[in-house]
Amino acid sequence: MNMRKSLLPITTYVRIDVKRLFRDKVAIFFVFLFPLIFLFVFGSIFRSDGNNVSFRVALLNESDAEFSREFVSQIKNNDIFKVDETVTNMDQAKEKMNRGQIDATIILPKDFGAVKHSQRYPSGEAKIIYDQSNETAGTTLASVMEGIFKDINQKFIDTPAPFTVTASSTATKGLSQFDYTFTGILGFTLLSLGVFGPTSVFPRLKQRGVLRRYHLTTLKVWQYFVGNVLSNAFVGLLAAAMMFIVALTIFDLNMRGNYLNLAVVLVLGVILMFGIGLAIGGWARTENQAAPLAQIVALPTMFLSGVFFPTFLMPEFLQHITRFIPLTPIIDSFRMIVTENASLLDLGSQLAIIFGWIVVIYLVAFKVFRWE
Amino acid sequence: MSKKTAKKPLVVVENLTKRYNGKKAVDGISFEVKTGEIFGILGPNGAGKTTTLEMIETLRSIDGGTVTVDGVDVVSSPDTVKSLIGVQPQTPSFEEKTKLTELIELLAAFYGKKVNPMRLLKEVQLEDKANSYPEQLSGGQRQRFSIAAALVHGPKVFFLDEPTTGLDPQARRNLWDLIRKVRDRGVTVIMTTHYMDEAELLCDRVAIMDEGKIIALDTPKKLIKDLLKRGFKKEQHVEQANLEDVFIDLTGKALRE
Repeated sequence: MNMRKSLLPITTYVRIDVKRLFRDKVAIFFVFLFPLIFLFVFGSIFRSDGNNVSFRVALLNESDAEFSREFVSQIKNNDIFKVDETVTNMDQAKEKMNRGQIDATIILPKDFGAVKHSQRYPSGEAKIIYDQSNETAGTTLASVMEGIFKDINQKFIDTPAPFTVTASSTATKGLSQFDYTFTGILGFTLLSLGVFGPTSVFPRLKQRGVLRRYHLTTLKVWQYFVGNVLSNAFVGLLAAAMMFIVALTIFDLNMRGNYLNLAVVLVLGVILMFGIGLAIGGWARTENQAAPLAQIVALPTMFLSGVFFPTFLMPEFLQHITRFIPLTPIIDSFRMIVTENASLLDLGSQLAIIFGWIVVIYLVAFKVFRWE
Repeated sequence: MSKKTAKKPLVVVENLTKRYNGKKAVDGISFEVKTGEIFGILGPNGAGKTTTLEMIETLRSIDGGTVTVDGVDVVSSPDTVKSLIGVQPQTPSFEEKTKLTELIELLAAFYGKKVNPMRLLKEVQLEDKANSYPEQLSGGQRQRFSIAAALVHGPKVFFLDEPTTGLDPQARRNLWDLIRKVRDRGVTVIMTTHYMDEAELLCDRVAIMDEGKIIALDTPKKLIKDLLKRGFKKEQHVEQANLEDVFIDLTGKALRE
């Protein structure tokens, strides 16, 4: 068979397969919208506006001193505090702290802000109560309040302060929580496109006799594989592009790397992940055979490859294993490109693992593929 | 029946055997199908009809014997045989959300060919459904489309496995006409069926299979004559019409879909 003749089945399949995807609302949801929903959920949780730390607090003012009233209105106007106005007594406050709806409760006791007989200025002690599970917020809040009181004290009694400290961050921003999560969601998208798609599609086509019909033609297994890989790579690039646009415009993603390098890793990632789905779905005769296998592969991959939390947080023996899970080098490459502007040369060891896996997976997929 | 007289054999089956777990599903059968004829394979379920077809179609491995199509051996050159044959499966099924024209184009491309999809659809009276998806077709329409799809590459032999099962009388008649039309274009037809009236009307010759063996092979007329010669007598009951004639008379011959 000459070159052009053996390419015709592939080019025709890719063109029609991509068109077909855009007519399938369920496929569009899972490939394009599902990752975007993920992006919006995690994006709003980990939004990267670093200096806007705020505390949700309940404020119980038991004092009727002039100073106390003024202090309350100052707190309410301060951006650092988000005062929950619905809380009016300690029981309600405790309940909300228990549920984690507020971080802490500030109590201004009866004599807070009163001017004592021997003094010319108001004084008092504010109490901060926090839930045991929320100790960090409690202690941070205490030091913030201390800072506020220091300023107030300075106004009443002028004392010199020989030592002071100022803090400022380095000019380059590190890996923000969102940047980290975004590359994880990108990896997750490849996982679901590559593994969950083909493991349900191919057995279904077999059961309906569609692949049997293809088998009756002179179509070769490798041509069918290449056609599917190409149409999925195209769709994967499109889905990733959409995610990038949303991440860059809405969530201020810090993209430092080269988009061409990223596209190379993306395509390699689709080839590898799709190979896994192809091996399972190509082997299985029914969806019931394929589904548990897909789960067995996808779940550990999801948790061990650093999709949602960094692999360096794992115990050391696990880290050795996770390095060789197919999705890990893909996600690592994404992160290194996005946050460190890594070149393809820098990604040598990751790319080597990816290539190794591609060879192994496709040999297996080719070996176990069945048309019916 | 056919105006064209049968010529040289196109499909030659010799001692064909298939075993499943030691049991012979097809037991050393031999027959020839001549160019231009409609050849029927009849038999009860489990007789080995489908297995026989699937071995000729290269879908199933052959345990014994040989099959050649147009002189090409099925086992040694399956790809050449594939381009010589077209197959209509028992339950035609296609990928969803794909236009009929695209499916035709795709299947032709799988054979390495480019075709004009509209011309092929016209031959099976589906040109007005060109932009429909297969899941939007009626049973009869899907059968007709499946025939067009099986013939995209211009094969010499056309296999049909129980093509009219589950169709209404109008759709059945229409499909018979279509099968004759395909034969008149010079394509040899090999089909299985459970309907004796269909075999009698359509087939030039039939092979009757039971338990993996061919127990009779001839023209329908000859087989009936032989039976009568053996002294078979049916209760004489001559009527000028039957219920199907009534049905067709009342509802017409036009396709319903």
